[in-house]
Amino acid sequence: MADVVAAPEALRVVGRAVPRHDARDKAVAATAYAADWALPGMLHAAVLRSPYPSARIVKLDTARAAAMPGVAVVLTARDVPRNTLATDVPGQTATVGPLRATLHVLAEDRVRHQGEPVALVAAETLELARAAVEAIDVAYERTPGVFTPEAALAPGAPQVHAAGNLLAQWRIARGDVAAALAGAAVVVEGEYTTQLVDAAYLEPESGVAWIDSDGVITIRVSTQVIEHFRDVAEVLRVPQNRVRVIGTYLGGGFGGKEDVTVEVYLGLLALKTGRPVKMVWTRQESLLARAKRHPYRMRYRTGATAAGEILGQQIELLGDAGAYAYLSALVLLYSTVTAAGPYRVPSVEVQARVAYTNNPPTSAMRGFGGMQTVFAYESQMDRVARALGMDAVEIRRINALRRGDRLPVGQVIETHVALPELCERVWAALEPPTPPRAPHVRVGLGLACNLQPYGRIVWLHDWSSAWVGFEMDGSLVVRCGVPDVGGGQASSLCQIAAEVLGVSLERVSVHIADSALTPLAGTTTASRQLYMSGNAVLKASRELREQLLRVAETMLGAEAATLAMTGDLVHAPDGRTLALPDLLRECARAGVPRGHLAVYNAPAGEPVDLATGSGKVFPDYTYGAHAAEVEVDTETGVVRVLRYAAAHDVGRAINPQSVEGQIQGGAVQGLGYGCMEEVLVEDGINLTTSFATYLIPTAADVPDVEPVIVESGEGLGPFNARGIGEPPIGPPAAAVANAIADATGARLTRLPITAERVARALGRLDGTN
Amino acid sequence: MKPPPFDYEAPTSVEEALALLGRHGEQAKVLAGGQSLMPMLSFRLVRPRIVVDVNDIPALAGIREVDGTLAIGAMTRQRAVEQSALVRRRCPLLADAMPQIGHFQIRNRGTIGGSLAHADPAAELPAVVAALGGRLVVRGPGGERQLAPEEFFVSYLTTTLEPGELLVEVRLPVAPPSTGTAFVEVSRRHGDFALVGVAASVTLDEAGACVGAAVALTGVGPTPVVAAEAAAVLVGGRPDARALEEAGRRAAAAVRPDSDLHASAEYRTHVAGVLTRRALARAVERAQGGGEAVTP
Repeated sequence: MADVVAAPEALRVVGRAVPRHDARDKAVAATAYAADWALPGMLHAAVLRSPYPSARIVKLDTARAAAMPGVAVVLTARDVPRNTLATDVPGQTATVGPLRATLHVLAEDRVRHQGEPVALVAAETLELARAAVEAIDVAYERTPGVFTPEAALAPGAPQVHAAGNLLAQWRIARGDVAAALAGAAVVVEGEYTTQLVDAAYLEPESGVAWIDSDGVITIRVSTQVIEHFRDVAEVLRVPQNRVRVIGTYLGGGFGGKEDVTVEVYLGLLALKTGRPVKMVWTRQESLLARAKRHPYRMRYRTGATAAGEILGQQIELLGDAGAYAYLSALVLLYSTVTAAGPYRVPSVEVQARVAYTNNPPTSAMRGFGGMQTVFAYESQMDRVARALGMDAVEIRRINALRRGDRLPVGQVIETHVALPELCERVWAALEPPTPPRAPHVRVGLGLACNLQPYGRIVWLHDWSSAWVGFEMDGSLVVRCGVPDVGGGQASSLCQIAAEVLGVSLERVSVHIADSALTPLAGTTTASRQLYMSGNAVLKASRELREQLLRVAETMLGAEAATLAMTGDLVHAPDGRTLALPDLLRECARAGVPRGHLAVYNAPAGEPVDLATGSGKVFPDYTYGAHAAEVEVDTETGVVRVLRYAAAHDVGRAINPQSVEGQIQGGAVQGLGYGCMEEVLVEDGINLTTSFATYLIPTAADVPDVEPVIVESGEGLGPFNARGIGEPPIGPPAAAVANAIADATGARLTRLPITAERVARALGRLDGTN
Repeated sequence: MKPPPFDYEAPTSVEEALALLGRHGEQAKVLAGGQSLMPMLSFRLVRPRIVVDVNDIPALAGIREVDGTLAIGAMTRQRAVEQSALVRRRCPLLADAMPQIGHFQIRNRGTIGGSLAHADPAAELPAVVAALGGRLVVRGPGGERQLAPEEFFVSYLTTTLEPGELLVEVRLPVAPPSTGTAFVEVSRRHGDFALVGVAASVTLDEAGACVGAAVALTGVGPTPVVAAEAAAVLVGGRPDARALEEAGRRAAAAVRPDSDLHASAEYRTHVAGVLTRRALARAVERAQGGGEAVTP
């Protein structure tokens, strides 16, 4: 059989910017998002949430609310069969111990953050449900809280959970950092602060649940993880095969829909009422209660030789987990592994901790801990270069990881690292420099690189499965449990199957994200779906192709290995062709299956002791370089990003248009993180629960992002693709900070970089803030 | 969220509108372009019993020049003002301010009167009216009254409009010859309310000496702040860099802004000085015939 991993020019569908099947539906508003669903007799649900960040519930009386006409049910913790959601975090350090991250479905005796769910209502209308929530008689007695990780870890601090406020810690020690710094020609020290931010997707958390035939609790929901059907079953104490989750096309996920959102509440309410139930969070509710990105305090000391070689880096990270663990320990692990950046650093020490507070909980968000550290390590890189009078590209070229190098955690880099090329490409893209347009304006350039893992931690033994099969007319069906969060997850699978099986893309139909009917594919997180499910579809398609060509071999009298499948035909070397329907009829007659299920297993490994730097944590990494040209108003501090270029080595672009979309979207979201976005919390109270106060960039606030796609042909995904979902969000904040330093000499170390902070850094304001 | 229930009336004449407003008094809210009222309803920050929609009153919209003033009907869309050649010619400061109000989608619906009656302390239009010493024409059961800006704007979102009254028109003096104007602001994002905004107007005589200047600031207090001391620095001489610097200093000294989520009082004060200097400098440049400058 011919090798279908051919050179790019031999590919017909893969590698082409084909229109995605979901794009038109979205453009004409034909996509049925989770909140667009309705069923006859459907109830509407609402949540009672705590107004306080730390309190005891001293009274919770639902009688009046439950008695209201039109109210179907009011539920509190007492009504939840098993009131705990739990995640195990493998490989946690000996100091903290194995972690079982738990969360109450509904608060029991205590609330630990503002917005924590206390009770649920389902009623005939949304208005009634909300009125009933207001009619619940609840009284709280406020208790002291802690609102910074530093305060949480201080002796005598109020304890958020009985086991103490230190949620997790990781440590890496590689080489002799003290000696490395002592022997360095230059040592740069920096402290960096990143802020709490929200995923701020357009589509808030939403879904509809109903009891389907045979009593199966069916939940149609906006989620990145249909496997939460098991969590729902646990909470409801029903067998796991009695819960079905149907994932919809998402109006954005960004990690915010990785943890359970509405599905457990919907399952409970459907089970208790026997009726369909809908829950849609309001924007305020989403901004108030949804888990967010961890704020970090990061301290870096970086030592380099006079020639610019980094010798050692000493790193301390401290994160705010908020009131519940969620995925904080794993987020911190990502930060720890990526803390020294995409560079060869012989001696590294990382001390990373994350603490409970009574702030809004933090968990997964695009970049997943690989994000915050970019701001620190790329600012440090820039400072070292400036201290040595070196060029931004040059210092990165000297230190860039190369195949065969080791990360501080001990993992050997097994694929090509295109960092120097990426740097040169984005630097060249911003030529020539823009002249300043006024005397009070300075213009500068900034560069920032990153590495982001794609695929899950190797000791989680990740896998994905997919089914690919023909219908009798030669049309093709792909079934795969992948949730499509808007990145083109489903359409990329169609391209891969179409490529291998020689059908036109219009002849492919894809069914995704149904925990009962599609082969499970795992989470749409960790930049893993193209890699994992792409490989599963590739494998299924290739195996199906072999299966079918064995039949074609007899029909055409030519060896299978000499046959080609293109243009909805099987081609023999002598020019004869076989139409797919004819082949499929023969398969049917001979009892040969026209479909095939395949499982792709990622390379697996055993848990790594980070402290001794013993090995592999992630399957592979995606590398990027971004460059920003900014204009700084030296009097008002207003920063405008004039031009922006972002390059990533994606191995192979399956759909260049989708890749560009990921790069542009990620860069814009990263610019929001860098310059604008901040969830402001005062003593645990969220002050930014609307888009009038929580500012995200609009199209008018960002420049065109010039995407630069580099295809090294090295990646673990299908056709050697790498993951590109998360990587582009990483570098923008550092690129802007470095550009401001280039323009003005001022070093911004706190995000977001607001005009006021720039004015302060430029000495325009007297006070400190 | 969704608004709480309310009654709705859409009168077709000012008299009919006044009758409705008179009948419902404080229970009524006037719906003009709806760019502030609708979100406030949805957030349930206001809970009127009745919304009186004045969009069907044609007499309330239009731009006219009368007796040396530009009279702009309260229901004139902001976009119409922005695109009006008459406004650009006769009241360039207003023209300068218009593109900085929200986004053009907002200006397509938003009205001149709606924005003024809403009296957001960071809005652009109140500063323009204050800088130019315009008049706000109000009709009510007792007939018509004309108010100076300092008589109209009271505090955050508060004016001296009585229940039962309707803002029907704003009148702005036509700019004398050799007048240059500028409206500059700093905001968190494109189209957001200003952290600080400055409206400036400068009139020169034939010899290039300043015979009139006005400065008003928005975003630095509960109402627009007229910085008369800042403007006064320029009057009587040829405006030079030193005078402009001094004007900036005086403007910064004249404001007492509050801190909020988006900026500290200290930053706003600093920016008030910088932007006053810049706005006056640009106004001078334009008065000298520097032509159309772009907004910053």
